[in-house]
Amino acid sequence: MKRGAIAILPLAFGAAIYGFAFGILAAQAGFPWWGVAMMSGAVHAGSSQIVAVEQFSGGSAILGAALAGAALNLRYIGIVASLARVLQSLPLHLRLLAIHITGDENWALTMAERAKNPAIGAAFLLGSGFVMISVWTASTALGAVLGASLPDLEAFGLGFAFTAAFIAMARGLWRGQENILPWLVSFAVTGLLVMTGLPKAYAIVGGTLCGLTLATVVRQRRSAGE
Amino acid sequence: MTDYHWLLIGILAAAAFTIRLTGLIAGNAIRRSRLAPLLDDLPGLIIVALVAASLAGQPVLTWLAAAAALAAAWKTNNVVATMLVGVAVFAGLSMTGF
Repeated sequence: MKRGAIAILPLAFGAAIYGFAFGILAAQAGFPWWGVAMMSGAVHAGSSQIVAVEQFSGGSAILGAALAGAALNLRYIGIVASLARVLQSLPLHLRLLAIHITGDENWALTMAERAKNPAIGAAFLLGSGFVMISVWTASTALGAVLGASLPDLEAFGLGFAFTAAFIAMARGLWRGQENILPWLVSFAVTGLLVMTGLPKAYAIVGGTLCGLTLATVVRQRRSAGE
Repeated sequence: MTDYHWLLIGILAAAAFTIRLTGLIAGNAIRRSRLAPLLDDLPGLIIVALVAASLAGQPVLTWLAAAAALAAAWKTNNVVATMLVGVAVFAGLSMTGF
């Protein structure tokens, strides 16, 4: 657990930047700092929270705002599903806790490290998840308290740190030639969908599903050829 | 904080957890089926899609920094080293007014 908690720290620092920004947005929508903290701890989904609060402050109906935000999180069906083997040894209450504290960063890091070392599993996911949800909750609350007095850290290129981290995690999951086509399709379809104006979260789901379909076809052909 | 603020938090939290729970149930069902290999394919495909979503529509500078990060990732297979190289190249190119 400690190993996961330490390994996730650089990514947690990056998440804190977005946390500050979300805290400012939520404070402007009338949330007190403790309300922001409560939302971050209970929801734990950055993009969903941002969209829901944006819609809410824009005057949308509550249910519509919440569902618009939640829909952005549909990729978590795939993310959590992929954890099935990692979580199978845990009792139910820990499994439910683990899926709540799972975010893009600690999930991806767990899977990438597990690809290198199969001994990495639920403890790593839990340790890194506890750090991520704590940093997310604290940074969003701090953003709500300090407001716009913080400098725009995005301007220093720190936002790119996430992209670089995900590139490294993809490298960790690379299994060879069989990945080339499905990964290219996932990348290209997602990129094209974003370029057509579709929200990124939906584009990610669309790209992943296309890649998944192709990966299945590639596997079936390979096993038929053997 | 008004009732509306509370309600937004409540509905959003319930919806977010329901989505995660759906994944847990689906994952367990898939694990025991002939579709089990899908679970091995999912992580890489989702991560590649996340990278594509953050690069789409970005200026050449971002793509160059991504290429440098990819080279670093390939060479080191290390997350922190890749982040350092990526951010350094991004910042360096930004400073030269690229």
